[in-house]
Amino acid sequence: MSGSEKPQERAKSKKKVNLNRVPMPKQEPEERIHNFNEVARGYTFEMAVEEARRCLNCKKRNCERGCPVSIDIPEFIAAIQKGDLEVAASVLKRKTSLPGICGRVCPQEVQCEKACTLSKKKAPVAIGRLERYVADWERLHNMTTIPERGAPTGKRVAVVGSGPAGLTVAADLAILGHEVTMFEALHVAGGVLAYGIPEFRLPKEIVQQEVEYVKNLGVELLPDTVIGINFSIDELLNTRYDALFLGTGAGLPMFLGVPGEDLNMVYSANEFLTRTNLMKAYLYPEYATPIKMGRKVTVIGGGNVAMDAARCAVRLGADSVTVVYRRSRQEMPARLEEIENAEEEGIVFFFLATPIAMLSDGRANVAALECIRMALTEPDESGRRRPVPIEGSEFIIETDTVIVSLGTSPNPLIASTTPDLKTSRWGTVVVDEKGRTSKARVWAGGDIISGGATVISAMGEARRAASAMHEYLTSGSKKIIPPSA
Amino acid sequence: MFPIIAKEELGPSVFRLRVRAPLIAAKAQPGQFLIVVLDEKGERVPFTLSDWDAEGGTVDFVFLVVGPTTEKMARLQVGDTIAHCVGPLGRPSHVDTFGHVVCLVSGYGIAAMVPVLRALKGKDNQITTIVQAPDKKRLFGLEALKEWSDKVLVATSDNGNGKGPLASDQLRHLLAEHPNQPIHRVVAMCSLCLMWVVTELTRPLRIPTFLHMTPIMVDGTGMCGACRLQVEGTNRFACVHGPEFDGHKIGSWDVLLARRCSYADENVLQQSYSCRTCSQW
Ligand SMILES: Cc1cc2nc3c(=O)[nH]c(=O)nc-3n(C[C@H](O)[C@H](O)[C@H](O)COP(=O)(O)OP(=O)(O)OC[C@H]3O[C@@H](n4cnc5c(N)ncnc54)[C@H](O)[C@@H]3O)c2cc1C
Ligand SMILES: Cc1cc2nc3c(=O)[nH]c(=O)nc-3n(C[C@H](O)[C@H](O)[C@H](O)COP(=O)(O)OP(=O)(O)OC[C@H]3O[C@@H](n4cnc5c(N)ncnc54)[C@H](O)[C@@H]3O)c2cc1C
Ligand code: FES
Repeated sequence: MSGSEKPQERAKSKKKVNLNRVPMPKQEPEERIHNFNEVARGYTFEMAVEEARRCLNCKKRNCERGCPVSIDIPEFIAAIQKGDLEVAASVLKRKTSLPGICGRVCPQEVQCEKACTLSKKKAPVAIGRLERYVADWERLHNMTTIPERGAPTGKRVAVVGSGPAGLTVAADLAILGHEVTMFEALHVAGGVLAYGIPEFRLPKEIVQQEVEYVKNLGVELLPDTVIGINFSIDELLNTRYDALFLGTGAGLPMFLGVPGEDLNMVYSANEFLTRTNLMKAYLYPEYATPIKMGRKVTVIGGGNVAMDAARCAVRLGADSVTVVYRRSRQEMPARLEEIENAEEEGIVFFFLATPIAMLSDGRANVAALECIRMALTEPDESGRRRPVPIEGSEFIIETDTVIVSLGTSPNPLIASTTPDLKTSRWGTVVVDEKGRTSKARVWAGGDIISGGATVISAMGEARRAASAMHEYLTSGSKKIIPPSA
Repeated sequence: MFPIIAKEELGPSVFRLRVRAPLIAAKAQPGQFLIVVLDEKGERVPFTLSDWDAEGGTVDFVFLVVGPTTEKMARLQVGDTIAHCVGPLGRPSHVDTFGHVVCLVSGYGIAAMVPVLRALKGKDNQITTIVQAPDKKRLFGLEALKEWSDKVLVATSDNGNGKGPLASDQLRHLLAEHPNQPIHRVVAMCSLCLMWVVTELTRPLRIPTFLHMTPIMVDGTGMCGACRLQVEGTNRFACVHGPEFDGHKIGSWDVLLARRCSYADENVLQQSYSCRTCSQW
């Protein structure tokens, strides 16, 4: 490439840049509220190339820095520009083993896309949609290749939990030649990807394909096995495994603690979503698990979980779905795209309010929420505006189904059966900068260390732990403890 | 896959299954349960372990046919397999040397209590067991109860004259003798309404009363909160903090009954809790 060509090419591309992204084809709201099929249909090849062409290929590479696992974003987009999807896929696979999932559920607007140079002028490049496009292309064309595994090291690793963190560690270490067993408490692998995030946002077929991919790497998956019950961590370390990774997530649902919360038809989001997604209650009676829901559903919370619960309720046939959130729309932690989708689907938002009691219909079913209005304080040192109740502003929302969606914390089962594992006062497992816990030969990552974050951060932490584990397993400094006689 | 090793019909619509599940058998304790998923489209349904063989790697449970899953399960035969079994879940029943223990059982509790009785007997307790059944035909498992109890009192509606005593009547008689013949602990694994009645009978006498609470569950590992109940005013999950709870600390019985009305015993029901007015499944 000659020096004289370059500026000219740049000028050309500058002129051509479209400030708007190629819109994502979606199921129309009036159609999608009656089914659980995926809402976003994905780009076509032409759309993907057109959108990729918006990328300036600028030298700053801010997007890459905005990505928690540092995907070489400009490179994979450049490959799409050239129509070379195989290269694009292999660039992605260098840093993420779950592109089809991340492309769908990452909060790109606060990560890579926020950092995109174009975002200063107008819409950033739709990096997530492009990532999804490449991953889907690879999957639909059966192009997924199984990487070559390193020579067997003779080392055995136990991975506890099969969410994004566990899947990532298992894949990484299997490729490096270690023998990996992944333990999962539920009857289906995938963690929140399987039981929490609904089909219309993340088809379960994609999740199961990722699980199959990890199994094809030689990872042994043991479902129906609860660590802390069937085996303690010490039993695993003392009898068979050289190292162990904890990726058990944060599955313990929080409740408001207001009077009447134990009434019938008051669900935790976890129960509502588990019945709907993992147990497929929307296909009842083909699937045996029912879900009971009234006509006027109220969801409490403002995160992804609340949006998912509300949108499931719409699809299960609720007449009206209201979301009650104590801050305002701006502060909602849910992905922007899902808030917009929820609004399009007719979900009503009640901002700056919180329930103070749940009232009974006299037959132990919930009939109404007593709420109080909130005001936001001036930003504090951390810049966050706290909601405070406005005295005397109580009001009633009539409802026959309440879904409490406040967030989760780690299940205490592992910590309570592993006394030498250091945890914080929020129940999260404490790790160093390489993901190592206070317990020898045990690493951790994902929601169990963060208390609840994102798929991509779970993957990033898992990747970091996997490389530290590999270093430990191959350093030769470790002593193998012989199986007790 | 978990193969069925043995199946026995204990009475009308009551079956015992023995399943090969070595991981569960290895750690099982009295009062714990397992969760079964019959096939990939199946529901997760809990059953209390009624026996196990840690060396042989098998577990037993007894179930009543009450709905779609248990109906399907009743049709399974030796050699068939169950897709998923997970356990042992929940905390074991608290067993110590208490003195005189009165145990109340009905329904599947008749079989599910046996490991608890055996453990209590192992700690030298004196055991009186009260067993309630709708009628003699539907009374099963009496021999095992007799084997591990010092005394068994039967409460069925056809005790001779066609209208026999209820378990709560039997308990009232025993309580009338307290403290001359003191009762140190009451353990109940029976219908929810009966457990409530028992709790109210022992409350004034302050006899420690422990109940096996079995609200509807989904995951059984503390992840969904479906099984929550109020204990001393705070949320507890039956699947991880229970299923055994101090009955005198349990609140909101009306809510619990409404949620699980199907085992309601008409005789002890209060009018307002009649199942006909309850809309829960
Ligand atoms: C409804 C919902 C929607 C979400 N939406 C998004 C989104 O759009 N974008 C995003 O980035 N993030 C989202 N998140 C967050 C994201 O899903 C999590 O941050 C991520 O899944 C954490 O991964 P993990 O591997 O740490 O844990 P998990 O995914 O929770 O997996 C943990 C696994 O470990 C198993 N386990 C637990 N205890 C044991 C034990 N003792 N023995 C054996 N196995 C055990 C669990 O059954 C589970 O399968 C959402 C979360 C929820 C609940
Ligand atoms: C910890 C625990 C231990 C249990 N142990 C046993 C056991 O050893 N043997 C046994 O037969 N059953 C046991 N049960 C109850 C058993 O799980 C239910 O009977 C079963 O789920 C019914 O499934 P189904 O599809 O056949 O009926 P469904 O259609 O689900 O229910 C039929 C009827 O059973 C009632 N029911 C549903 N779930 C429960 C429940 N959790 N407890 C009581 N009634 C319920 C419903 O109200 C309904 O009227 C236990 C439950 C729990 C929570
Ligand atoms: S059954 Fe889900 S928390 Fe107990």
